[in-house]
Amino acid sequence: MKRYIVLMLTCFIAVSLIIPENAYAMHIMEGYLPFGWSGLWTALMLPFLFLGMRSIQRTVQEKPSLKMLLGLVGAFAFVLSALKIPSVTGSCSHMTGVGLGTILFGPLAMSVLGCIVLIFQALLLAHGGLTTLGANTFSMAVVGPLAVYGIYRLLQRSGAPREVSVFLAAALGDLLTYVTTSVQLALAYPEAVGGVMASLVKFAGIFAVTQIPLAVSEGLLTVLVFNFLTAHSGQELQELSILRKEGLS
Amino acid sequence: MFQIDQYAYTNRLLKVHPGEKMAFAIITMIICLISQSLAVMLAAIALMAAAVIRAGIPLRVYIKLITVPALFLILAVGAVAVSISGQGEGYLWGIALGKFYIGVSPSNLYLAVLLFCRSLGAISCLYFLSLTTPMVEIISILRKLKVPSLFIELMGLIYRFIFVLVETAESIYTSQSSRLGYRNLKTGYSSLGALVGNLLISSYRRSEILFTALSSRGYTGELRVLETKYIVSGKNILAILAIDVLLVLLSLAEMSGGGLIGRIYN
Repeated sequence: MKRYIVLMLTCFIAVSLIIPENAYAMHIMEGYLPFGWSGLWTALMLPFLFLGMRSIQRTVQEKPSLKMLLGLVGAFAFVLSALKIPSVTGSCSHMTGVGLGTILFGPLAMSVLGCIVLIFQALLLAHGGLTTLGANTFSMAVVGPLAVYGIYRLLQRSGAPREVSVFLAAALGDLLTYVTTSVQLALAYPEAVGGVMASLVKFAGIFAVTQIPLAVSEGLLTVLVFNFLTAHSGQELQELSILRKEGLS
Repeated sequence: MFQIDQYAYTNRLLKVHPGEKMAFAIITMIICLISQSLAVMLAAIALMAAAVIRAGIPLRVYIKLITVPALFLILAVGAVAVSISGQGEGYLWGIALGKFYIGVSPSNLYLAVLLFCRSLGAISCLYFLSLTTPMVEIISILRKLKVPSLFIELMGLIYRFIFVLVETAESIYTSQSSRLGYRNLKTGYSSLGALVGNLLISSYRRSEILFTALSSRGYTGELRVLETKYIVSGKNILAILAIDVLLVLLSLAEMSGGGLIGRIYN
């Protein structure tokens, strides 16, 4: 009995070490979701994309320089997701940047930028895919940012220190993204016995192995970035939060 | 910088109308996704591989490119193949774990194989599109498909800035590591934090400079660039139609006939 548990744990750890690029684990792969589910998640994601577009449109009309800023911020998000996080095991992992982007620019702008970044990740890096774009956008650019935003606002209002709120918002936002991905996979591939719930336990369990350490490092890094920014570029940080003040959140 | 992007601009199918390439990739991808037939998926994988080779991308490079997602895909479908249940009846292979059984049932194994081929088929289509069609052309096709102009403009801006920022990030990374910035985990984290923070601020500064430069050249909220003219080829369109109709017919025939795997499996 105990032997099996040890065996399984070794398997899991081995698997998480073998995965050549953890970035592939971030998104649902091309063709992995059935046609119906791809369509459904796309339909669910579109209203958020529409809201994001509308709010960007309004802001840009008043302040045209913001379009350039959004373009650079989007590219920044893409580059961020391609940076390797130093890790003990030697396998490489990546930041999602969802926490950082949302705290700086608000969840609505993130839905549009996130969707575009996911398109580029599919086409330039073959991470994720076009048919699963809706599902990935929903988990990474809708649920993730909304969670980050909610948690951050809640903690800030309750008077928690900024480091704590940034860490928790980024880490939990990351985790919720993966919970959403697990739900999407479980709904599409329910177990013959036990149905969606059993399947959810299975997928979430597998994700937990790789994603909990990732969420922690994402949280830590986001705190480090924020500390760096407040220490060295307080002025720019003020100016950057303009997107949020202009009603983009 | 990105191998895929580099081939997109240098391959032999560059002169082919991007709309044709895009239609071929997307329609085949959708057929792959809807079809339940293994033969169709295998055909799509072979077709796209042939098309990529036709575009002059070395086979070695293509195999290397497709192995990475394929390896990950094996792990991903592994998760579908393995199931947990209260009783371990009918499992091909399984172990008991307390009250539960973890194992592989024939139906789940079949689903996993199907899923692997379907996903690999769709990935092949994606690779064909991204290896033969420059991003700029994909964006211009999206514009013709009436995707909102703000979305298109942001896509164009982001695509162009990605390369600038990757270069900035790389040079910051090089200078940090030459100063032992990544010698252990702790310095690694603080270096990466500084890199990301700096990258953000420099992006911000760059966007301001860019806007100033554009405004002084009469920018009024719209960037217009000349587009390359392509010739629509009737022959290509016919070929795409023929191939995809054949795939659909194959799929229908497989379904009514029980299928290649279905016959072995039953």
